Amino acid sequence: MKWMLFGPETYIFLVAFFFLILSMWRGPHSEKDHVLALALSGLGVVISLACLGAEGLLFAGAYRLDLFSQVFKVALSFGLFLIVCLCANVEEIKRRYRLEFYFFLFVCTLAMMLLVSAQHLLTILLALELSSYSLYILVTLRRDEDMGLEAGIKYFLTGIFASSIMIFGMALLYGATGAVYLQDLAQVLPEVMGTPAAVIGLLLTFGGFFFKLAVYPFHFWVADTYQGAPDQVTAYIATASKVAVIAVVIKLIAAVDQNSTYLIHVLAVLSIASMTLGNLAAMVQKDMKRLLAYSTIAHSGYVLIGILSGGTAGYASAVFYALALLVMKFTVFLVVVVLSPRGKNLEREELAGLHGRSPLLALALMVSIFSLAGIPPTIGFMGKFYVFMGAMDKGLFVLVLIAMINVVVSLYYYLLIIKAAYLGHSWETPPAVHLPQPMRWLTGALIATMMVAGFYPTPLIRLSEAVARSLM
Amino acid sequence: MERFVPGVEIKGALSMQIEIAGFPYLSAILITCVTGLLVILLLPEERKGEIKWVSAGFSGTTLLLCVYLFFAYDKTRGGLQFVEKVPWVPSLGIQYFNAVDGFSLPNLLLTGIVFFTGVLTMWQLQERVKEFFALYFLMVLGVFGLFVSMDLFFIFVWYDVSLFPMYLLIAVWGTTRKEYAAMKLTLYLFAGSALLLPGMIYLYVHSGLNTFDITALMQPGTFTTAQQKFAFPLFYVGFGILAGVWPFHTWSPVGHAAAPHSVSMVHAGVLMKIGAFGVLRVAIFLCPEGWQYWSGVMAFLAAFGIIYGALAGLRQTDLKYVIGYSSVSHMGIVGLGLSTVSVEGLNGAVFQMFAHGIMTALLFSAVGHIYDRTHTKEIGELGGLSRVMPVASFYFILAALAGMGIPGLACFWGELVVFIAAFKVYPVRTVVALLALVVSALFMLRVVQRTFYGPPNERYAQLSDVSFSSGIPRMILAGVLLLFGLYPALLFDVIETASIPFMNGLPR
Repeated sequence: MKWMLFGPETYIFLVAFFFLILSMWRGPHSEKDHVLALALSGLGVVISLACLGAEGLLFAGAYRLDLFSQVFKVALSFGLFLIVCLCANVEEIKRRYRLEFYFFLFVCTLAMMLLVSAQHLLTILLALELSSYSLYILVTLRRDEDMGLEAGIKYFLTGIFASSIMIFGMALLYGATGAVYLQDLAQVLPEVMGTPAAVIGLLLTFGGFFFKLAVYPFHFWVADTYQGAPDQVTAYIATASKVAVIAVVIKLIAAVDQNSTYLIHVLAVLSIASMTLGNLAAMVQKDMKRLLAYSTIAHSGYVLIGILSGGTAGYASAVFYALALLVMKFTVFLVVVVLSPRGKNLEREELAGLHGRSPLLALALMVSIFSLAGIPPTIGFMGKFYVFMGAMDKGLFVLVLIAMINVVVSLYYYLLIIKAAYLGHSWETPPAVHLPQPMRWLTGALIATMMVAGFYPTPLIRLSEAVARSLM
Repeated sequence: MERFVPGVEIKGALSMQIEIAGFPYLSAILITCVTGLLVILLLPEERKGEIKWVSAGFSGTTLLLCVYLFFAYDKTRGGLQFVEKVPWVPSLGIQYFNAVDGFSLPNLLLTGIVFFTGVLTMWQLQERVKEFFALYFLMVLGVFGLFVSMDLFFIFVWYDVSLFPMYLLIAVWGTTRKEYAAMKLTLYLFAGSALLLPGMIYLYVHSGLNTFDITALMQPGTFTTAQQKFAFPLFYVGFGILAGVWPFHTWSPVGHAAAPHSVSMVHAGVLMKIGAFGVLRVAIFLCPEGWQYWSGVMAFLAAFGIIYGALAGLRQTDLKYVIGYSSVSHMGIVGLGLSTVSVEGLNGAVFQMFAHGIMTALLFSAVGHIYDRTHTKEIGELGGLSRVMPVASFYFILAALAGMGIPGLACFWGELVVFIAAFKVYPVRTVVALLALVVSALFMLRVVQRTFYGPPNERYAQLSDVSFSSGIPRMILAGVLLLFGLYPALLFDVIETASIPFMNGLPR
């Protein structure tokens, strides 16, 4: 049964390949393709779930399967499934590329699955690049050539810059330690932690991941890329892609962090800078996607708190936060995708009167926004609470206080969104939003998930703890 | 998910197990609120009448439960009663732990009364009725939860649950500068929670007990003196913002003036009490040495609040602003009582919380009734109303008299006991505050005189007085005010079951 170890990856690879062949075979057929992709990605979730218990090492130890990687694979395939749910009407994407669109989505997910399991620096690098390149292309698929291209080129240029920095860092790290496997690195690194090569190498390596995570000072691409990319792709970058990157950062830090206070301080500074910058910049945004981009930067800051706290509790809290982000960010994007006017981005003010047009969407928006803001009883609050517990355990009182002040600051622009949705009266009343029945169920399920997991988080916390333990 | 956790280890020495004594009345209150909320959500928007009847039915049920608890509480035994304990998140030490004692019982009763009368006060509402009552129930759910919870984590959760519906309640259904007021209020109050959460986690971590259980954390010796001195201000300011402690009160008059009537009632009547109660339950219970250390500062801020509220009220022309500033002043009395570190002070403070809650609710309810008819809250535009609406005016005047501390009405006892207790400890601050109260009494009289006596405004001469049915909420409130004014022992006896053992247990 060794092939079961590689089950989800094989499956996703085959589906991607299938879409590639299909794109050569015939032209796109929106509805049929969507149903097909939906079914195939749904099956992907089932297969990932079936492989949840897989454990072992593959490819000469470069590829490790444990609960950590398998849970994240489920999350990724689930994220893919959710994004495909939004693709019923991909008006934004040029017609002739619609099959390739699915192809790249699946390839990107495959790459991220490889990423969460990779143990060898080169495997990590390859997986990261594969996912990045898929995303570079996905971003440019937008029908509006200028916007998509601008976003894609910005993303691409900053992305390869970050990658090259990361490769340089990895080379330095290899020079200092002679190790390429994460487990070897963990053993050798503490001895050479004092040498400049190791420190600089480590920081540069992390720089590449922080770029993906959108942590200050690697956040420049986020706003423009989010704004210019097609809505579905933005949603994918903000949810599934973010989860994968959080996973790999947790894994890397867990491997190298041997109670290094030096690293904690650097991460704490980055975390504070990201939160503050993200929240302050988000206040003045009118475009919903730009606003969410800055809020993503802030959330990366909160995740970093959990990661830098370390230990089972710290990593578990970061895992919890990543899963929470997946659900709540996706719900916001669901509303954005449904409401986006054709060919344009959704402005915050265009939410006006939403409570009258679709009470369900308004409720979904309210719950997910409160969840992002960290108001109980939502999953986002539990995530923040859990993260803060870990940090306080490390004695980082000031960091928690600053994070909480940031939560209050962020509340301002989150409340403006809710105000627009619940109070705003647009002059010409737009028609009621028609949601197909399955989408209504999906929205309802997402609302219920955020509330229930916020009010009774025990199962999810146990899962996160088990995941974190499997990492140690 | 069970199969991933072969052995969940719980660090703390405390065993966590289900412990429920008898019928879970406290959960029943919460469940009634939740059920009411769900029923309202399921009803279609057009059936406004039914939504109101459902709201009245469910809020009436909670009131009955609260009244039952108030009288069923065994005063001879004291302590925590109606205990319900269920492990919630074992690995983080979170329990669903409900119980009432002499401090929370009066507040619970207060919430029940204000909740029910608030629903009745909003009987005339026509706009977005369903959403209003759904949010209203959500807010009150948080309030009930906070008063009955004995778990620090849940206290925080309920605190936020009671706050966030406020934004929409004010911004959608409010009146004066409502969007500004809603934003200001929400940000202010959540700024308080920004101090509370770090404080709570700080105590949790430093206790080393792996529990948020207040009864466990309040055991003497759990925290060092330095830790208590450090954590106390976090809770005092965090909850104090909600209690309208000067200088963090500025959201309060603005918010009260902008909110719809029943929300003002709950907000000034009950929500501000959450703040004071939080100071008592969390700050004072967990950090008694910090309390003793900071009590001088508390007394100073409270006295200043009393004076400031009284003087600022003098200049207001809007009836609701007048009440808003008088709330700051009256909550200062609660703060003064808490700062005395004595049994009498605690008794008076808790009594004052109750009495002020009923009194403010009556004031806002009466103003709401007047506003619904005249569509103005400007004192200058009103006048001679007592001739047009004698009964409606009577309620306002009664509440205003109560606020002045006229014997025979509930507020008198609260203020009297607090001032006696405070005079022993802080004579100068108390005397100055008392003088300010005299001023505030004068200004209340001025408001009453301008609004209800003098030449009547022609515009309102045709208005009819209250009908019997629409006067019910104010009758209830006025009755309670009189009952506890004439028979204060009913309440003091309950409070003493908590305050005397608590003060005896303090290290001297």
